[in-house]
Amino acid sequence: MNPNKRIINTFEGKPVDRVPTFCAMVEDRTFNEVLGSPPVSQEKILTNPLTRFVLDRWGKKVSKNLFQTELNRAFEKRIKAQVELGFDSLWAILDETFTVTDHQTMVRFSGSVYKIEPDGYGNMTYMYSGPGIKTREDFESWPYWPNADDLAHNSYTFFKKMVTKYGDRSCLFGQASAYGIHESLLWAVGFEKMPIWIMKEKDLVKRYIETCEEICFKTNMAMIDAGIPVIIQTDDLAFKSGPLMNPKLIDELFGPSYQRIIKAVHDRGVKYVFHSCGDNTLLFDTIIKWGVDGMHAYETTSNVDIYREKEIHGDQATIIGGVGVDYLLTDRSTDEEIVKEVKRLIKSLGPGGRFIIAPVHSLSSIPAQKLRVMLQAVYEYGNYPISIN
Amino acid sequence: MEKLLVSVQQAINELRIDDIRGLVQQCLDENIAPVDIIEQGISKGLELVGRQFEDGTYFLADLVMAGEVVKEAMPLIDAQLDPGQVNKKGKVILATVQGDIHEIGKNIVGMLLSANGFEVVDLGVDVSPEKIMTALKETGARFVGLSALLTTMVGSIKEIVDSIKEAGLKDTVKVVIGGACTSERLKEEMGADAYGETAVQAVTIFNKFSAQN
Repeated sequence: MNPNKRIINTFEGKPVDRVPTFCAMVEDRTFNEVLGSPPVSQEKILTNPLTRFVLDRWGKKVSKNLFQTELNRAFEKRIKAQVELGFDSLWAILDETFTVTDHQTMVRFSGSVYKIEPDGYGNMTYMYSGPGIKTREDFESWPYWPNADDLAHNSYTFFKKMVTKYGDRSCLFGQASAYGIHESLLWAVGFEKMPIWIMKEKDLVKRYIETCEEICFKTNMAMIDAGIPVIIQTDDLAFKSGPLMNPKLIDELFGPSYQRIIKAVHDRGVKYVFHSCGDNTLLFDTIIKWGVDGMHAYETTSNVDIYREKEIHGDQATIIGGVGVDYLLTDRSTDEEIVKEVKRLIKSLGPGGRFIIAPVHSLSSIPAQKLRVMLQAVYEYGNYPISIN
Repeated sequence: MEKLLVSVQQAINELRIDDIRGLVQQCLDENIAPVDIIEQGISKGLELVGRQFEDGTYFLADLVMAGEVVKEAMPLIDAQLDPGQVNKKGKVILATVQGDIHEIGKNIVGMLLSANGFEVVDLGVDVSPEKIMTALKETGARFVGLSALLTTMVGSIKEIVDSIKEAGLKDTVKVVIGGACTSERLKEEMGADAYGETAVQAVTIFNKFSAQN
């Protein structure tokens, strides 16, 4: 069975030959291990005094041409590495949300600020460093919002190429420059102030949500035009022991947008997957009500019980995940531990279908070899009918 | 007097940010001691919020909002407060470990610890083990709270625990860890003393350690 059919059948609750696999993106360390490291590391390039000088002086000007071009190459490498590892499906991302403002700072168009940092493996990564929108005036004058049509055009171009090159070897779950509406707002105004914004700045919050919805909608349609069979949306709604906000409020604020977005995707015959970190137990009914086909929302370090979710919602949405990145897919685990956990997941979640085994998240510390061990275990023990003692 | 303090408790518990300053001002106008406003009004209000969080009525955003309500009130109280009047349960050094700059969880823990009578020394984010050791020596603190979101940075926790051991402070200094990538297993692996799953649990753990001292 080819990977695309295996994945789509799984979403539709139809029989498949084995438990399918999904890769929750790979970061630089992992794809360098798969594809080979570049001759000069990103860290060396970005910590070079000349690069620093250029970025400090002309960061905004060179951002779109030099920086984004380089980033787009990395996005393709991520896809290529996931395909070469042999995953049935993968997270294909194009992220054109950033502008570099100096050698250590990037700004996301939706209002948040990030620090550029070494990842410990010779590559550069970024970490959220705080909100960019602190006042009503900041909101009104925020200069980084993109033209959604331009984003859509770029998304189409990138994903058309990716589908042509890799689309027959793996089912591409596409995400194009659109982060979750809730998480974008949270990053833009800061979590500490978000409840106050929601309470006191209702009109601005509404406009913010509408802007994000338009970007999601247009980039989704562009990806579908390019041939992407599954849209994946990330929106972290929870932390390790529960939802960040009251689920009722989450539904009231963000539900209508997501319902419209998902309906538009379904109208084009494409599947929709929702990713959320943390313990989403109290949110699953809500997210399913929005219309998703699958969820990648079972972080192993949170309190969510993936096995219980299989019993409760297993016939309503496909469960994607199961393999932890906090220990199992790190240098600290053994191959035997990975195989044991994969067998346990397949034995419990495989029967009845609607289960795609996957790392629960991407992480710069995941060794490619551990992903290979995970995949080999699925190939060995994941064939239907499941027969693991 | 009691009625006014109950109103302060209720305003915090009901997250009424627009009412809190007026109520605290009324307390001060009625000559209620600032320390009583903190202990009988604000801390009790936060206790109620914590209970609602634990029983699932409130969520993390509500905890944060309660913190914002308290922040509205504190300048009024601080202006009239003699620091010596407040009972302190001990100093807690808080830090996000080296290589990690996520601070939301740490800040919430800090806010709750302060409101619960601890003196919080917040070293910020991306804090090296050396900086934590220096702070321990300078402040004489016996509690350390370490936050880590990124799995890649958990090695820092072990470095800090080892530094504390090497300095001969293992029996006197308690290290509590929390954050997205932390767990009981990680606590064991890194040799920390306790793991707090939520900010409210972290306060319970530090209260327990404080009572043992």
